Amino acid sequence: MRIGMIFISISLIVGALFTLMGASYALAGWLESLELFAGAGHLGAILVQMLVMVMVTATLLTLAERKWSALMQDRVGPNRARLPIPGLKDNPLAGLPHIATDVLKMLTKEAFRPKAASKFLFNLGPILAFAPVFALFAIVPAGPTVEVMGKQVMMVAANPDFGLLFLFAIASLAVYGTSLAGWASNNKFGLLGGVRASSQMVSYEVALGLSLVGMMLAFSTVKLAGPTGMTALQAPYLWSFNLLGLDVGIPRWGIFLQPLGFLLFFAAAFAETKRAPFDTPEGESEIVGYFIEYSGMQFGMFMISEFVEVVVLSGVLAAIFFGGYYLPFGNEALMGLPVMKAHPWLLGATLGTVFWLKVILLCYLQLAIRWTFPRFRYDQIQTLGWKILLPLGLANLFISGALVLWDPSLHSLALFGFVVLGVIVFLTLTPSRQVRLAKQAEEVHGGHGHGDDHSLPANTH
Amino acid sequence: MSNDATYDPTPSNEELEAHLQTRNMVLNLGPSHPATHGTVRLRLELDGETIVKMDPEIGYLHRGFQKSCENVTWMQALPYTDRLDYVASLTNNFGFLSAIEHLMGVEIPERAQYIRVVGAELHRIASHLTTAAALGLELGGFTAFLYGVEARELIIDRVTELTGARLTTNFGRIGGLNRDLPPGWAEKVLKSLVKIEELTAEVDGLLTRNRIFTDRTRGTGVITRDDALDFGFTGPCLRACGVSYDVRKATPYWVYDRLDWEVPVGMNGDNFDRYYLRILEIHQSIKMIRQALEQLPEGPVIIDDWRIVLPPKDDVYGTIEGLIAHFKVVMEGVPVPPGELYHSTESANGELGWYLRSDGSGRPYKVHVRAPGFQILSGMQRLCEGRMLADLVPTFDTINMIGGEVEQ
Repeated sequence: MRIGMIFISISLIVGALFTLMGASYALAGWLESLELFAGAGHLGAILVQMLVMVMVTATLLTLAERKWSALMQDRVGPNRARLPIPGLKDNPLAGLPHIATDVLKMLTKEAFRPKAASKFLFNLGPILAFAPVFALFAIVPAGPTVEVMGKQVMMVAANPDFGLLFLFAIASLAVYGTSLAGWASNNKFGLLGGVRASSQMVSYEVALGLSLVGMMLAFSTVKLAGPTGMTALQAPYLWSFNLLGLDVGIPRWGIFLQPLGFLLFFAAAFAETKRAPFDTPEGESEIVGYFIEYSGMQFGMFMISEFVEVVVLSGVLAAIFFGGYYLPFGNEALMGLPVMKAHPWLLGATLGTVFWLKVILLCYLQLAIRWTFPRFRYDQIQTLGWKILLPLGLANLFISGALVLWDPSLHSLALFGFVVLGVIVFLTLTPSRQVRLAKQAEEVHGGHGHGDDHSLPANTH
Repeated sequence: MSNDATYDPTPSNEELEAHLQTRNMVLNLGPSHPATHGTVRLRLELDGETIVKMDPEIGYLHRGFQKSCENVTWMQALPYTDRLDYVASLTNNFGFLSAIEHLMGVEIPERAQYIRVVGAELHRIASHLTTAAALGLELGGFTAFLYGVEARELIIDRVTELTGARLTTNFGRIGGLNRDLPPGWAEKVLKSLVKIEELTAEVDGLLTRNRIFTDRTRGTGVITRDDALDFGFTGPCLRACGVSYDVRKATPYWVYDRLDWEVPVGMNGDNFDRYYLRILEIHQSIKMIRQALEQLPEGPVIIDDWRIVLPPKDDVYGTIEGLIAHFKVVMEGVPVPPGELYHSTESANGELGWYLRSDGSGRPYKVHVRAPGFQILSGMQRLCEGRMLADLVPTFDTINMIGGEVEQ
């Protein structure tokens, strides 16, 4: 019964993704065939991918965060809101009505503004916090370029030549919304939050940029979408063989070529999104947050922009490090299917679904991290950024550059990547010195709490 | 400028190196703030994020505990003690009763002593779990907090079965206890202890070895052994500095000397030690409860002296002696002989001392509480000044200030 429910839910999600992607391709193809202006098909991507997929995923994440955190914390999670419809009255519907109630609450609350706050900047804050985050998704390709209604359709809102540089530029704009919100509300807590946010976001820009240079070197491009973009270049195999007509192998995904780059980018981008464990600007138990004076939908904008950030970051991660919309293997077999050749939009919808599934998994990863780790201190974040991430990023850049020069086929880079992955897994699985010593002590004393001196272990410091 | 030759337009070195004129920011943390447990106002003077000066301002929860006690009989003062350390009210109840019994020279039955140990240790676990797990909450780790609260909820359920109330237990009477253990309660407690151990291990696993957590807690909120002694710290906050002082070991009361347990001691007196010490103490308390429930003797739970305890209802309604005794105990109060004494027990936060003075009437002449939290709160400045604002919040948690007992 339960397994059946889970199966049905998963098929529902996959089905919805597939339908939306199909609709997206159809819309883009139709817009392109109208020949309104060059690249009108991108409008389809903007309408469906950004306004529907990103926003709906972010909205659902508000619920998912609560449900998933409830799973991790032995709770039931939100289930109180019910629809007053006969038949559904006693069904919590997995908490879905809570989304509606949240929105209603936010919209109907008083939009309060402190008397001494700067009116213009105060109102500008949430807008500036939301807009850049949302715009980031523009360069992320959600599906392959296929032919629909006789026109080539790209499933990306924009594909500029400067690709990833757009990402860096726009990501650094997000700091304005946060620090303005903190400053303009004329509140000391808000000011502290704004200052924390600006220092943190400015210092992580460097690590953020540096961590991606390795990938740019490997594929000699800064573009994400298109046939020469990073996503498409990740599909070929490093080593592969044919298994019963299905091509199996290790693809050139960023995670294999640049595992260190992935970790650095993930950490730096996490710090940019200001979510736990990097949530000092919010720090709800310390300074309550830079948005302390905001209420109603203005506060909702900050909240939703945080969730949009999660989705966008997952999208960027999927596109750069997890092969974008490609399957790990079997791409050639899939593209070779006659039905895919006859209806290219079907191929696009299938691969687009793959992309969004990756995004959802990465969202889950981010939320799991958020609900597991405590928060850094403000100066520890700076230490991590400048003293650990930056030197590691530089080392990664030099080693990757040398390896790419030495072996342009990227095989040696991948081998190095596997070594790094192995080291990371080894370090993660090895118990720390403290745990080993504690185990030894337990063996010597024959069980917990029978030692003579019951002081804290001497090695705790 | 009459003499141009002596005029030097370049500014002097002092002028160039002078710091910008900055002012420290005064920040009111509280009285209503997520980090202030209870209601307390911390007046902070901040230089950037560094605390230059800190001034805890109490009084928002003052209820006049000591004066109220003088207007009621000794037993009627018992419910007031629930509201002192409301996280571990049984330790207050039993401590207060123990002090009165010492003043009267009454020895309570053995079974009652064991049950008092079980109750006090249960609430000690609850308090320590709240503090240790809430440290996760202060540092943004909400999950660890909820595991701790889940374990605490089990204890509160057991305490409710025993006393009838979740928070304000009002349990125990002068001379013993007002009721025996409910049937099957001991087995339920043993079952809950297994679950509590599991959940404590979860909290421990999520926090203790976490690098971010240790970075945040080690070396923050440090107080030296000498300073702690000077301020009058007791309990986990003192033991974390390396002083092995526990009232239960120093001057054993009830049956603590019959149980096999140890006093965990820390080394550095920082937040981490205060946190980890509490985790270790939870294990010791669990050990104690198991032993106490095993050794629990049969017998009465309250002494048989109608001048001190209420007679059984049958006697009240059936005999004239019972009725008179009931009337006198209720209307005049328990006759505590004139005299004064200081008696202390170990509450969850440290030495809970009672200075009682009786003039022989049924009401207290003076009740003074030495609440452990007050001394610790007064040492807060030493722990926080010169540190960062972000460290104040976990420090405020690990000293476990309970507004009820500090402000009385």
